[in-house]
Amino acid sequence: MFNQYFQPNDILIIYPELLLALFAMGVMIIDLFLDRAWKVLNAFTALVGIAYAAYALYRLKSNALNLSGYNHAILNDSFAIYFQFVFLIATALVILISARYLSIEGENRGDYYALILLSLIGMNFMVMGIDLITLYIALELMAVSEYILVGYLRTNRQSNEAAMKFFLLGAFSSGILLYGISLLYGISGSTDLRVIAQRLAERPSHDPIALVAVVTLTAGLLFKIGGVPFHQWLPDAYEGAPSTITTFISVAPKAASFALILRIFIVGLKPLETSWVPVLSVVCVLTMTLGNITAISQSNIKRLLAYSSIAHAGYLLLGLIAGNEYGITGIAIYFLVYAFMNIGIWTLVVAMRRKDLIGDQIQDMAGMIYKNPGAAVLMLVFLLSLAGIPPTAGFIGKYYLFASVIQTHHYVLAVIAVLNAAISLYYYFRVVVVMFMSEKTDEEKMTLSPGVLTSLAVTLVFTLLIGIYPEPFIRFAQNSLSLFQ
Amino acid sequence: MEFFNSYILTLLILTPVVGALVLALLNKEKAETLRRTAFGFGLLTFVFSLHLVARFSSGQSGFQFAENHAWIPAYGIRYHVGVDGISLWLVILATFLTVVSILASWKGIEKRVKEFFIFILLLEAGMIGVFLSLDLFLFYVFWEVMLVPMYFLIGIWGHGRRIYAAVKFIIYTAVGSALMLVAILSLYFLNARATGVYTFDFPIWLNNIASNRLWIDPHIQNWLFLAFFASFAIKVPIFPLHTWLPDAHTEAPTAGSVLLAGVLLKMGTYGLLRFNVQLFPEATRTFTPFIITLAIIGIIYGALVAMVQPDLKRMVAYSSVSHLGFVVLGIFVFNMQGVEGAIYQMLNHGISTGGLFLIVGMIYERRHTREIAEFGGLATPMPRLATCFMIITLSSIGLPLLNGFVGEFLILVGGFGASIARAKLYTSLAATGVVWGAVYMLWMYQRVMLGEVTHEANKSLPDLSGREKWVLVPLILLALWMGIYPQFFLRKMDASVSRLLNPPIVMMVQK
Amino acid sequence: MPRNYIPILIFITLAFLFPIVTLAILRWVRPSVPHKAKLSPYECGVDPVYQPRERYTVRYYIVAILFVVFDVETVFLFPWAIRYDVLGLFGLMEMLVFLGILIVGFVWLWKQGALEWV
Repeated sequence: MFNQYFQPNDILIIYPELLLALFAMGVMIIDLFLDRAWKVLNAFTALVGIAYAAYALYRLKSNALNLSGYNHAILNDSFAIYFQFVFLIATALVILISARYLSIEGENRGDYYALILLSLIGMNFMVMGIDLITLYIALELMAVSEYILVGYLRTNRQSNEAAMKFFLLGAFSSGILLYGISLLYGISGSTDLRVIAQRLAERPSHDPIALVAVVTLTAGLLFKIGGVPFHQWLPDAYEGAPSTITTFISVAPKAASFALILRIFIVGLKPLETSWVPVLSVVCVLTMTLGNITAISQSNIKRLLAYSSIAHAGYLLLGLIAGNEYGITGIAIYFLVYAFMNIGIWTLVVAMRRKDLIGDQIQDMAGMIYKNPGAAVLMLVFLLSLAGIPPTAGFIGKYYLFASVIQTHHYVLAVIAVLNAAISLYYYFRVVVVMFMSEKTDEEKMTLSPGVLTSLAVTLVFTLLIGIYPEPFIRFAQNSLSLFQ
Repeated sequence: MEFFNSYILTLLILTPVVGALVLALLNKEKAETLRRTAFGFGLLTFVFSLHLVARFSSGQSGFQFAENHAWIPAYGIRYHVGVDGISLWLVILATFLTVVSILASWKGIEKRVKEFFIFILLLEAGMIGVFLSLDLFLFYVFWEVMLVPMYFLIGIWGHGRRIYAAVKFIIYTAVGSALMLVAILSLYFLNARATGVYTFDFPIWLNNIASNRLWIDPHIQNWLFLAFFASFAIKVPIFPLHTWLPDAHTEAPTAGSVLLAGVLLKMGTYGLLRFNVQLFPEATRTFTPFIITLAIIGIIYGALVAMVQPDLKRMVAYSSVSHLGFVVLGIFVFNMQGVEGAIYQMLNHGISTGGLFLIVGMIYERRHTREIAEFGGLATPMPRLATCFMIITLSSIGLPLLNGFVGEFLILVGGFGASIARAKLYTSLAATGVVWGAVYMLWMYQRVMLGEVTHEANKSLPDLSGREKWVLVPLILLALWMGIYPQFFLRKMDASVSRLLNPPIVMMVQK
Repeated sequence: MPRNYIPILIFITLAFLFPIVTLAILRWVRPSVPHKAKLSPYECGVDPVYQPRERYTVRYYIVAILFVVFDVETVFLFPWAIRYDVLGLFGLMEMLVFLGILIVGFVWLWKQGALEWV
């Protein structure tokens, strides 16, 4: 009787997530007994939890290949493990930069870290799940935690507004997604993606119901990654949210949503490829172009980065459209790269938040080279990387994505994508102009907390290392190819 | 010595990078130390590059001093560098002009000295890398890397609308190189599909094309050709893609203009010769009339526009459009004289236009204006400068016994002997460019240097300083040497050029 | 397969038709004599003094949320209690984990002062 629901092995598969859940609860409880001055210990607790989970994940990786559990609802293959490592890295970096920022904002509480960890658990299940119900619940766990985190600054109207927009549109999109899921279930009689793929393959290729399912799923999922035309929430949420949370949601949840999309489209909807590739191609072109062109006119660095992040989602869709080994490796390596370069640049934005200065206008960075030469140079490296200029990591990521669509003969897409990359130089270099070629407007220097310094050091080293010697990282990213099995 | 021979190319690329790192560690207040260090590293790189000349074996047509190491083996990306008769002199040009421009910036650059020299050295590394790369991925990396230092050189130390010029420069170039990336990747996959080997290696691609293992449909070839062409034509710049050039050249600081005109423009023509012509033989045939037409328009248009420029530096910039038109013409006539003349003209242009920019820079440092109308009779207070200016002007015009003559002459001879339709008409039109060149250059010289001193401010300008002599004299000596004894330079090109012109091309990579 | 759904289709159609038809019939049958007193919110009471939409104290929501949490808990507890002998040890462990998480949340809320609403 016992075996029907549960096997001891199941616990093993989700051991890292169990640890994270324990630590999430632990942070909340420990926080109750900490004085104001000792709140920084919360960050330490969370970091320890992540380190422990990473170690558990590493053990899992070296033990076995494909771990399937919970009646095949969960598949912890190397694709999932790879993305979990990306999430863990991103989350750890975000926690490093959070402590100082939260104390400046006066909201230094333990539930912040607990929510981040919970969201991390949600993301981990998003890449592990192969059953639509599991995936949906994981997605909601991640999303609900984020809604709260975006509105975490209770006294800040902008933060509240951002949270409200994010929540309403997010809930709406989840509804649409759920509709698509139910249609798929109706067609195939199963929620297991592999079974769905089999059933879909048996049906005629131009099945209207299947098409509706694809369209609704695409709409729901595009919202999560900020694809045009479901991107409007993104700049507002990025601008209003606490900068550390923006750092977080611009990287980890995006990667998780993309991994989810890969799982659904490459595994479950592969038989319908002919119907979703054209849809996604259009979305991809719109996303890149609109993101880049709108970014040109932004004067707020947070909004600029938000639109740039929309454009990056567009580049990433190239990998999905190609749907081949190059594309999947490309998406995988891109997120690793993106985690470092984007967190790096956001860390600097976070560091610019000082006692009496919000520091989110591009103009606030005027003459940064005179005041904080180190920070200016770091910013330059991250901007170059975002623009995809070698020898930074961003180039390697872009290279893979562009190569993937060329391999599948989508030449027009490739040309539009590279031209977009050229356009993006314009606004990235606008920031450079302000930093390097304008006179300084104030004398205020940045003070960098140890956490911020650590985060900057890590992101810088990897942004350059992946750019100059990408071989080991590519091998690592190729783990994600287990998606095709 | 053995070590030196086998790693000389890497040394050439790395020395400036090391120099930049050393500069980064120095105190930014000690300007003189910074200048000396930068000069030292520049000179060291130049000396290393002379080693190439000494050890280069003229009879070999393949790549020499080659180094070939795995870089990203997962996708067949290699660190493969080598030098042949085509790239040899361009590398020397780059290292030489870097030394010259460091010297030339000694007084002109007073703010942010440290960063300036760091960017100059990084730019040098990028330029050398572009000429040496034999792996297309590596080539693209260097091609892009070079953009950033140049952007800063124009944007920080430029004049007037410097930020506009810098952004225009980077966007133009980035658009072109983005298209090139698509073409490179397409070739990569085409080659892999045909031969099963994933590689970006240029000699291997050439071999496959020559032996017909890699056959590219002419239709696809045309597109790929155009993608490469877009990137190189912007860089050259070929009319009508030249509009970034006057802005960038005019607003850049002297050293920036020298390197931009002297070396960066040559990357475009080098790319056309190395990649377009060799990788896509059929497409080259298709587009030759079109490109030659553009080149001739460029020659005449550049000359005419240069003639009416009120700004000295802008005039020199437009003269570049005209001169580079000659180079493109020389490449696309496909015979020994034409191609060798084109390469030779690339070197000449580097020296003479570099020299012109230096002199304009020196005049600007004294008068803080570049309006031709502001000058007149400068020869009276500055006789030595006037002499140097005269020689370089004549070299740019192409007076016999000076370098410009050899290049233009070879190109025109090549043009008349070319086996393409209407070759004589094309070449005659191009030859008028020589006349136009003489007209605008001499007219400009007359207005600036000769006659009475009309402006009070010009009466007491100091003549060349010792350092400035050191900058100009080597250039003049080179111009004379190249004009009187071109064989020294041409001999080293012969083998590579004739191999390029005589398919079937089988590349021997010398280890 | 679609045949099995026919009753549902009929059911849905009826469900839609029923209110529409009833309302339509009533509108047709009933007398319509509107006057002021009839249109006021409380036909046979006093006139409203202020707007019925009013702000509640935020603590009310905390109580409501607390209630929902424990409500959901019972929703899980009842089925489990009924099937206890089938689920056995596994069910017991699962339920303990569930309750454990709830208790952590409850303790946290308590310490935060959510229960001190006076």
